[in-house]
Amino acid sequence: MASFSYQNVYIKDYASIAGPKEKKGKLSFKNTIEDYYNGEQTLEDAEIKMQNFCLEELVEKNKLKNIPLVLGGDLLNQISITSYNLVNKNIPFLGLYNACATFNEALIVLSNFIENTTNPINEGIVITSSHNLNSERQYRYPVEYGCPKKNYTTFTTTGAAAMFLTNKKSNIKVESSTIGTVVDYGIKDVSNMGAVMAPSASKTLHDHLTDLKRNIDYYDLIITGDLGRVGSEIFLKLVEKEHHYKPKKYYDASSILYNEEQETYSGGSGPVVVPLVLINKILKEGKDKKILILATGSLHSPLMVNLKKSIPAITHAVSIEVMK
Amino acid sequence: MIYVKAFILCGLISMIGQIILDNTKLTPGHITSMFVVIGALLSFLGWYDYLAEFSKIGSSIPITSFGNALYKAAVMGYEEAGLIGLFNNLLSTTSAGISGAVFFGFLFSTVSKVRD
Repeated sequence: MASFSYQNVYIKDYASIAGPKEKKGKLSFKNTIEDYYNGEQTLEDAEIKMQNFCLEELVEKNKLKNIPLVLGGDLLNQISITSYNLVNKNIPFLGLYNACATFNEALIVLSNFIENTTNPINEGIVITSSHNLNSERQYRYPVEYGCPKKNYTTFTTTGAAAMFLTNKKSNIKVESSTIGTVVDYGIKDVSNMGAVMAPSASKTLHDHLTDLKRNIDYYDLIITGDLGRVGSEIFLKLVEKEHHYKPKKYYDASSILYNEEQETYSGGSGPVVVPLVLINKILKEGKDKKILILATGSLHSPLMVNLKKSIPAITHAVSIEVMK
Repeated sequence: MIYVKAFILCGLISMIGQIILDNTKLTPGHITSMFVVIGALLSFLGWYDYLAEFSKIGSSIPITSFGNALYKAAVMGYEEAGLIGLFNNLLSTTSAGISGAVFFGFLFSTVSKVRD
């Protein structure tokens, strides 16, 4: 029973930046970078710069003086990008890691902080990022190794995103959330993240609806984070077979980022996929009012995979309401 | 005919590599190491000489010839100086390949950038 309802948690503002391949994809972004180095010497610096851009934009636009808390994480070892981004900024920081579910994890933790009126934190920022070349090296093989990819492989999305949450009313409300559980179906293939995460997404969806005693039709739109085309098919089959759910409107965020001819195999992946699609598609269009976001994360450690262990997964659910 | 023969063997080895790459989870690193071992085995059985005679350059281009060269050099060293000679001589004939790979790898890494 780890579901929460919130009465006064609102998303006041958000910022995002996307990579060069995402720029040529299906969505249009306000901010993009031209090449993977982003004017820096190393790819890691490029990612830090992207994340810093989002943080700075939120601080400037909202004239924030003292940010009480920043929560976030990324995919690199020891969540170094986020930590290095916050060096000497004099901002209290909690680093989180749940792979590609990190963004939702941060949203849930911060929402709980804000909702609870006994603590002094009533606003804060959640932040995340991922970078294709950094993550492929970290989790699979460096791109320059030239390893051919399987068709069901996902392609790590490049970008960064941040959201500013507060207890003051705005037209986007964080309505409820469910903390996921770790699920392992015994899959060992590091290319097949969709199959690793789909059962976990199905379980969290069921937990969320059961805990809050809701029907699946309550939501205008249900999105999953980065299951890819392969994983989202498995997900739909699973929820129908196990729980007889038929979502009114559903898509997988990572599957709608790229055009077919961009050779991104099964679709995008990474913690930044969810906020990129949320900011640059769902909130921009404003068509859907009640949205359930299932951010899927594969808790994949290269060390454990080398020890021939299977890959566990986790999914966190956050429900967002857009009001007029 | 000499070109056809070279193509037949070299192409066959490459085709086997491609089939393995497409149908298994093995990466290029696994496959090249595997081919080196196979080359050394063929050399040990004395079959690599037949392949070399049949296909000439076609047998020395693929990575299997690296295994062959390793085995030949080790045997040569063993005959000259016994067990210690085996270790002394093991990399002698393949030195150009190894040093070249290290040197040019370094050289090009200084002027190249990564892309997706």
